[in-house]
Amino acid sequence: MQDLEEIKIIVTGFGGQGIIMAGRIIGKAASLVDGNESTMVQSYGPESRGGACNAQIIISANPIHYPYVDQADILICMSQGGYEKYIEQLKAQGTLIADEDLVNPADGDFDAYHVPATRMAEALGQKMMANIIMIGFLTAVIPAVSVNAARETIRHSVPRGTEELNLKAFAKGYDHGLAVLKGREKKAAGQTGAIA
Amino acid sequence: MNEFNIILFLCNWGPHVAFQTLQDRREKIPYEIKMVRIPCTGRISKALLLKAFERGADGVALVGCRPGACRYGSGTLTAQENTDDARQILNIMGVGEQRLRQATFLPDDAEGLFEFLKTFSQEIRTLGKSPVEVSEKSVTKAIDLQQVARAVSKYDIFSCQDCGKCSSACPLSLTGKSFTPRAVASAMIAGDIDSPIVIEGIWSCLTCGRCYERCPRAVNFPEFVREVREIYQDAGIKALEPHGGFFQSMMRVQGSASLNMDRWSWLPESVHLNMKSKILFFGGCAPYFDIFFRKFLGPQTQNILLDSLRLLNFFDVQPSVLSNERCCGHDLLWTGDERGFRKLAVLNAEAIHASGAEQVITACPECYRTLAVDYPRHGIETKFKVIHLYDFLNREIEKGAVGFKPIDAHLTFQDPCRLLQEEELKALPRKLIGHLKPRSFREISESETGPICCGGCAWNGCDAYVKAMQVNRLKQARAGGRDTLVTACPKCQIHLKCAMEDPFLGQALSMDVKDLTSLIAQSIYWA
Repeated sequence: MQDLEEIKIIVTGFGGQGIIMAGRIIGKAASLVDGNESTMVQSYGPESRGGACNAQIIISANPIHYPYVDQADILICMSQGGYEKYIEQLKAQGTLIADEDLVNPADGDFDAYHVPATRMAEALGQKMMANIIMIGFLTAVIPAVSVNAARETIRHSVPRGTEELNLKAFAKGYDHGLAVLKGREKKAAGQTGAIA
Repeated sequence: MNEFNIILFLCNWGPHVAFQTLQDRREKIPYEIKMVRIPCTGRISKALLLKAFERGADGVALVGCRPGACRYGSGTLTAQENTDDARQILNIMGVGEQRLRQATFLPDDAEGLFEFLKTFSQEIRTLGKSPVEVSEKSVTKAIDLQQVARAVSKYDIFSCQDCGKCSSACPLSLTGKSFTPRAVASAMIAGDIDSPIVIEGIWSCLTCGRCYERCPRAVNFPEFVREVREIYQDAGIKALEPHGGFFQSMMRVQGSASLNMDRWSWLPESVHLNMKSKILFFGGCAPYFDIFFRKFLGPQTQNILLDSLRLLNFFDVQPSVLSNERCCGHDLLWTGDERGFRKLAVLNAEAIHASGAEQVITACPECYRTLAVDYPRHGIETKFKVIHLYDFLNREIEKGAVGFKPIDAHLTFQDPCRLLQEEELKALPRKLIGHLKPRSFREISESETGPICCGGCAWNGCDAYVKAMQVNRLKQARAGGRDTLVTACPKCQIHLKCAMEDPFLGQALSMDVKDLTSLIAQSIYWA
């Protein structure tokens, strides 16, 4: 949170993908470890049984007076349904982080990252960990929570016995995020290949 | 005070007459010049030129006939090429090209020859003694039987059940050569260590490790062979050194501590190095190979080094390199010259420690295996971690954000024997090929349970059987319309390219040979 006074995040996807869990981890990391203020609200009802569910997180250096997110800075999408429902709530020039294989976003006035989170989680042997990979990616590309805070919170939030694998998933997502940033930097500098 | 040694290889035909004239006139030919009368300068191979330096020459002059006056037509030209290549290699090794000269004289040009000899010996005096340390030969007369017995029990050769699984897997046995690991093992147990068939068997083993993989009693035959070779070397039973022993000479020369080598000045400016980096790139001997084989195969193994560095740069790693990087010692170790290996290993380990590097990355399977496994095993302390480039690349590529341009080729892959012996590295080349986008990829042989060696590990032996094995390999590789053979070791590239030059089979074996590192470097991009 270097320059940003306040970051508003919406995480959305199918019920069961660990959307709410991801939201909780981000919020807890920001407040309990990083020492910022944070709030989270989540959608209940039929969505959590399979529709597009969502978690709305606000992270701020100052007290937060209203927890709902109207216009988000960052939209994390792990399903097409969630994308269609919430893309309107992404502010102009906001950041979209979408699962590469599950979401097919249209062009718009936002910066889009495509993360093969579910595929990477499958490669790790646990599809459930796609949400943790997304948190890893977010931590790498947006200074919302610190790496240490994210790791600590994941360690205490996931079922006992799965900590190491979840941290591995986090590292995968985080490394991928750094690689994407590096790739963008290299492309901007005009060095795309290994042989000039 | 005859402290200098200059070898003059003098052609029998033209310049020898001039030399005789000098002798008849009782001219004072510098006394450090030792004349060796030869039939033609074209017959003095690069190996012989280098051998002179290995054995203590401070200067070597190759004096023959004028190009048009060569008795055999092309001798002078060949001598010129050999000298050029050898001079280049002497430069890289820090011996200095000035120490090797070629000259031509007509029979009646005694004054010219005299002038040349005087000038050359003066030049060598100015340069001083050669930096090459001559290793004293300690040859015992007989095979040390006790040592053999120790090796037999150390590798538990006694446990051989005579089942023959090794023989049915050994690529050399399969070509019909009268060599099987089992027979050698039995002979060794029986104490039959100096019969020609056992000696030949020990020297022809490829040390590829297929027998070890199959052996139900896990007898480590390659390591056993390596140790017996040491015993043989001590008894003066020599390795079958191919290419005239050029590479062994080269490695022994590099065992000298005071060389001031020049390994990397050829790198283009686009490669970024950082001499204070904690990561060091260890290149290996590829540049020498390209020079040595320039005339025959045009191998491009030096590009593996260049492409490795480009890939490290691509992933924002700016490694350091050793300008005094010596051969890792692999080939001397596997041809039984343990002393030579140790010299190189100590010098390299010292240089790496002095550079402050904590990690050593190499793209050569032999360097990897030697630095990571054999240095510690032979008691050479290594305070650094050795990583194969493929390991690094695989980790970086799996982080994502990179793509690969399509490769317009049908690929197949030749495994390097020295990576197969490391469990965690075995799968890496295929993982990397899996990222590439060729038109197709298929294994050389689907039915094969383990890959087959290229036949030329450690510059040790090469004969009709090895050639037959390589030809079979290439036929398999070409089957099904595959046009590009991907290799992961400079030696695989050189040896399989050589087999393609078979005059009887001609184009039937010809394929494109590409190194995996170069293929990745050419097609990777930030997506």
